[in-house]
Amino acid sequence: MRRGTALVPALMLAVTLSACSDTSTLASPTELTVFAASSLTAVFTDEVGPAFEAANPGVKVVFNFGASDSLAGQIQSEGSADVFASASGTWMDAVAEDPGVTGRTDFARNRLVIVTPVEDPGGISTIDDLANPDVQLVLAAEGVPVGDYARQALEGAGILAGAEANVVSNEEDNASVVAKVAAGEADAGIVYESDVSGPAGNDLRAVEIPADVNVTATYPIAVVAGAAEQALAAGFVDYVTSAEGQASLESYGFRPVT
Amino acid sequence: MRGRTPLPLAILAALGAVFVVLPLLALVIRAPWGDLGSALSGAGASTALRLSVEVSLAATMLSLILGVPLAWVLARSSIPGRSVLRAVVIVPLVLPPVVGGIGLLAALGRGGVVGRWLFEAFGLQLTFTMWGAIAATTFVSMPLVVLATEAGLRSIDPRFERAAAAMGARPGYAIRRVVLPMLAPQLAAGAVLAWARALGEFGATITFAGNLAGRTQTLPLAVYEARVTDPGGAILLSLLLVVLSIVVLVVMRGRITAAR
Repeated sequence: MRRGTALVPALMLAVTLSACSDTSTLASPTELTVFAASSLTAVFTDEVGPAFEAANPGVKVVFNFGASDSLAGQIQSEGSADVFASASGTWMDAVAEDPGVTGRTDFARNRLVIVTPVEDPGGISTIDDLANPDVQLVLAAEGVPVGDYARQALEGAGILAGAEANVVSNEEDNASVVAKVAAGEADAGIVYESDVSGPAGNDLRAVEIPADVNVTATYPIAVVAGAAEQALAAGFVDYVTSAEGQASLESYGFRPVT
Repeated sequence: MRGRTPLPLAILAALGAVFVVLPLLALVIRAPWGDLGSALSGAGASTALRLSVEVSLAATMLSLILGVPLAWVLARSSIPGRSVLRAVVIVPLVLPPVVGGIGLLAALGRGGVVGRWLFEAFGLQLTFTMWGAIAATTFVSMPLVVLATEAGLRSIDPRFERAAAAMGARPGYAIRRVVLPMLAPQLAAGAVLAWARALGEFGATITFAGNLAGRTQTLPLAVYEARVTDPGGAILLSLLLVVLSIVVLVVMRGRITAAR
């Protein structure tokens, strides 16, 4: 117990010292704040962010990943984003209305896919199986883009009511759906194709959704009005839509816009 | 002994009070009071409220049933590794609840270390059920019962139990008629604290039990889901939780002062 109390001042001292060295010895980098849909987490943190930082010395890209609806709400109330990359046009529309955006452009497409645990406990081989009795289905909540797209696809397949009766959890975003299915807790979930090509893809089995009922998610990106780093933000948007940025997106399972 | 408060102290104290009160006050200011009726009578809110009450009461019961014997072992027995056990059982108090949720998934999930066996042998699945929400909530609130009860037991002289035994009382009878009545104030304080903690539980529940209205979507989860789609409704639901929490504290304060 006595050792524990001695540790506290030592820790505080360490924190103070490291804070000092941050401000005094290092030139503080220019920060670019990017709010991005959680489906972009892997490609943005692994490739796009580091590549943009390498091309712009002294710039640090700070990401805030989450469900696009939550991000739009945060931008509207706090306005702290330079760039917004949304998984749906709807939430970009909301931000375009308040506080406004510039340079809006679509930069990626994604399609839906059914995921099951590798052992496939629910016996899922087609989208229609999602309405079978006793299948435990996990979707993203309504309002979250991937949740809305999934319900559109289920409606297109004519099994929305049956599938909704099987929903055991409305998750916060696609990453939470992937986590629940990869852990083997649910029999199936509906997420993006790009989720299956990510690191969690190894714990998942993918079942295709036929093209005639599948839904294409189009991702818009834009500079947020009032952004502190307007020019840098425009540069980030340019990089994402450049050949190099597009190649990164494609290697992470996204489809090109055209 | 009450003297004048030095001015710097008073300023910091005032800032401290404002810091705590302001967010609560802001909820009251920003609440769309005109929607109060529809927000609270809506099916979503009443379902979440009922589930929250059920889950938190069940978790409190479970915390008492398991936590009080655990506290007795910690306070009265001399089993080896007792100090380690004491440290371990209060870890959930300082653990981020989402970590507790991931741990529960790994342990009691359908594919978990023990959960796999439960599922295969009995078809028992906790995840996505009300029992899952109760398990997650108990995990975070039981330590409060253990702490309060153990402190209470330590303040009771074991010679009372020995005296009762010397007069012919069986151990069970002595605990029931001698120790428990003396322990009642601490038991009540522990239970109320555990219930308040259970009522506010979010991270472990959404991680382990998921989020489904009527089954695992307790009031905090409903607030979280509503915050984007219905910010005004989220504020009103939040205020409902604030009121419940204040009621808990007022009740508990009465208990604690009565104990002295």
